[in-house]
Amino acid sequence: MDKNIPRYNVQLYIYDLSRGMARSLSPIMLGKHTAIVAYGDEFFFGGEGISSCSPGGTMLGPPDTVVELGETEVTEEIFMDYLSSLGETTYRGDRYRLFEHNCNTFTNEVAQFLTGRSIPSYITDLPSEVLSTPFGQILRPILDSIHISPPGGNIINGGRNI
Amino acid sequence: MAEQGAADLGNNNNNKPEASEGTIIKVTVKTPKDKEEIAIAEDASVTQFKEEISKRFKAKQDQLVLIFAGKILKDGDSLSQHGIKDGLTVHLVIKTAHKAADGSSTSASSSTSTQAGNSSASSPAANPAPTTVPTGSGQAPTQTPNIMSGFGDLASLAGLGMGSANFMELQQQMQRQLMSNPEMLSQIMENPLVQNMMSNPDLMRQMIMANPQMQQLMERNPEISHMLNNPELMRQTMELARNPAMMQEMMRNQDRALSNLESIPGGYNALRRMYTDIQEPMFSAAREQVSFGSNPFSALGGNSDSGAQPSRTENREPLPNPWGPPNSSNPSESGGGTTGSTSTSGTTNPSVSNPLGVNPASLGNGMFNSPGMQSLLQQISENPQLMQNMLSAPYMRSMMQSLAQNPELASQVMMNNPLFSGNPQLQEQFRSQLPIFLQQMQNPEALSVMTNPRAMQALMQIQQGLQTLQTEAPGLMPSLMTGGIPGVPTGGAVPAENPASSPSSAATNPAQQQLMQQMLQMFAGGGGSGGGNGTSQTPEVRFQTQLDQLNAMGFINREANLQALIATGGDINAAIERLLGSQPS
Repeated sequence: MDKNIPRYNVQLYIYDLSRGMARSLSPIMLGKHTAIVAYGDEFFFGGEGISSCSPGGTMLGPPDTVVELGETEVTEEIFMDYLSSLGETTYRGDRYRLFEHNCNTFTNEVAQFLTGRSIPSYITDLPSEVLSTPFGQILRPILDSIHISPPGGNIINGGRNI
Repeated sequence: MAEQGAADLGNNNNNKPEASEGTIIKVTVKTPKDKEEIAIAEDASVTQFKEEISKRFKAKQDQLVLIFAGKILKDGDSLSQHGIKDGLTVHLVIKTAHKAADGSSTSASSSTSTQAGNSSASSPAANPAPTTVPTGSGQAPTQTPNIMSGFGDLASLAGLGMGSANFMELQQQMQRQLMSNPEMLSQIMENPLVQNMMSNPDLMRQMIMANPQMQQLMERNPEISHMLNNPELMRQTMELARNPAMMQEMMRNQDRALSNLESIPGGYNALRRMYTDIQEPMFSAAREQVSFGSNPFSALGGNSDSGAQPSRTENREPLPNPWGPPNSSNPSESGGGTTGSTSTSGTTNPSVSNPLGVNPASLGNGMFNSPGMQSLLQQISENPQLMQNMLSAPYMRSMMQSLAQNPELASQVMMNNPLFSGNPQLQEQFRSQLPIFLQQMQNPEALSVMTNPRAMQALMQIQQGLQTLQTEAPGLMPSLMTGGIPGVPTGGAVPAENPASSPSSAATNPAQQQLMQQMLQMFAGGGGSGGGNGTSQTPEVRFQTQLDQLNAMGFINREANLQALIATGGDINAAIERLLGSQPS
């Protein structure tokens, strides 16, 4: 194994929205917004698509929890290509679904891409927990129209404006 | 050994599982847009793997970047070296000179199907159209069980009052969402129902005063009662509520003024005092409100009242946890539930931008008549359990009661229901049926039927049966039609989602109305005697003779007569007593 392959650290930022000024922003049903931090930038998925900013640079402030996901050999260039592809298809802004396809879905997928590992299950399980209640089911049509986007990021969408 | 493997692979280049040297494993290759399963020998090299991939994805091998477990697979490596085994997923990025779109555009079509597959659960509910609420749930099938349509309005009024803690939590969050989403808020504000409610100061005052907490508060703080009685102020307040931008402006001004005030020596204490004196009881009053829109007015009323001394607008306590357990830590079965203030309903936790807990969701009573809520109601009605929950909410009762006592209020609200606004005929019918509704709401039998899931299901089956009958034997229906109750809400409200069905739904209207009417009659009149009357005539027809008699006796209020007759099941004497005893306003 060559050791001179550049490796990049990958982290998961978890924002627990039940406290702090996040409350006055777009309320988030799930209570946990997540983002991936790598290559010195933070990436997350919101109602406008994939966005990036400097780590901790959204209006949510610094994260509540940081999970080290490990290292990746994927270079930034490849990663940006990957994100662009994602941003044009699976993770376009209009694909945002509060329950099934949200910031945590994105984070999970990117984490797996970069490191082969998933994000902690308590985050990915949130939507199904809510959905398993009858009221969650009922409110779904309304909730589906809710998009969560912490302001303060630049949108990566492969050059297309949504 | 590697060469042997290569030779073998050279032979079976195309998915021919030959269990020779290397067992064939199936590896999923995932691009941002697509996902394919590729069969490859276990001990193949990355190069060979890429060959397969380039064929499948129609990209050049040197454009392929394979990633597994965070590592980039180099051509010289072997799959087993990286631990790639059967069933695992390898990520692929197709590099293009310019855009990744080129290489994967071919798989775009399949990717949409994947996407659709992924979100199949949500696509019926929310079309991939602009995801505004009306459009998204305009899908509400016109087959909405129409039982809810009749109760729907009342239900929507009490919609916020569902007795489940879970819901309240969600509801609070929903409110928060509404608050912070100005668009939604303005949508709500524009809802004619809401506007109408708000433009009627008497109505608002009535509602506010109806709340015992408010009454207490008013006693303690005469200022508040002054404020309420001051029409000018009320109007201003309502203007404010109507205009979220203005509201925000004002809040901001007050925040600023407040901070100024703070800097004055001694000012802080004054503020603190004012806060504790006034804001707290306001909060608790607001918290206990039954959702009707009284909330924003108590809040805003307090707000404008404190215009001179903007102390109330700043919240010094730690803001409560919106995702925690509902704040109202109340035993939701306190008392007979008639006071109506036992559990929180449409309350919002005060927040920085909304110091007094303005409750837009309660403002958005009209929101519940949006198609979004319609489908919601439909789902509710489909789940009798929820009906039960809803109806057992303490303040559902009180709401019903207050509605029953104040038919004007109820009728007003219902009239302004946007569903009916375009159809004066429906309004008329509805209005005439209103007292029946109210009566039936009060009829414990009816309530028990509503809370009985099986009964509800039966009703729904009947409903559906009728609809089927509609389509199958339209000739049958006209014979049953003789006026009726407003039936299909979605038929009126949902725009050309389903143009084909709206004419037919208009046709089904009368029949369904008919059904509704029968149901109601059964509830209101013959609830006790078993609801199996099954006459297919309207009460007018049935009670024709009685009506005539009543008319001859001098009871010229046909409507009242009818209701009385219905209530008493055709018994003239009892009807007369009814008419004489209770003078329906």
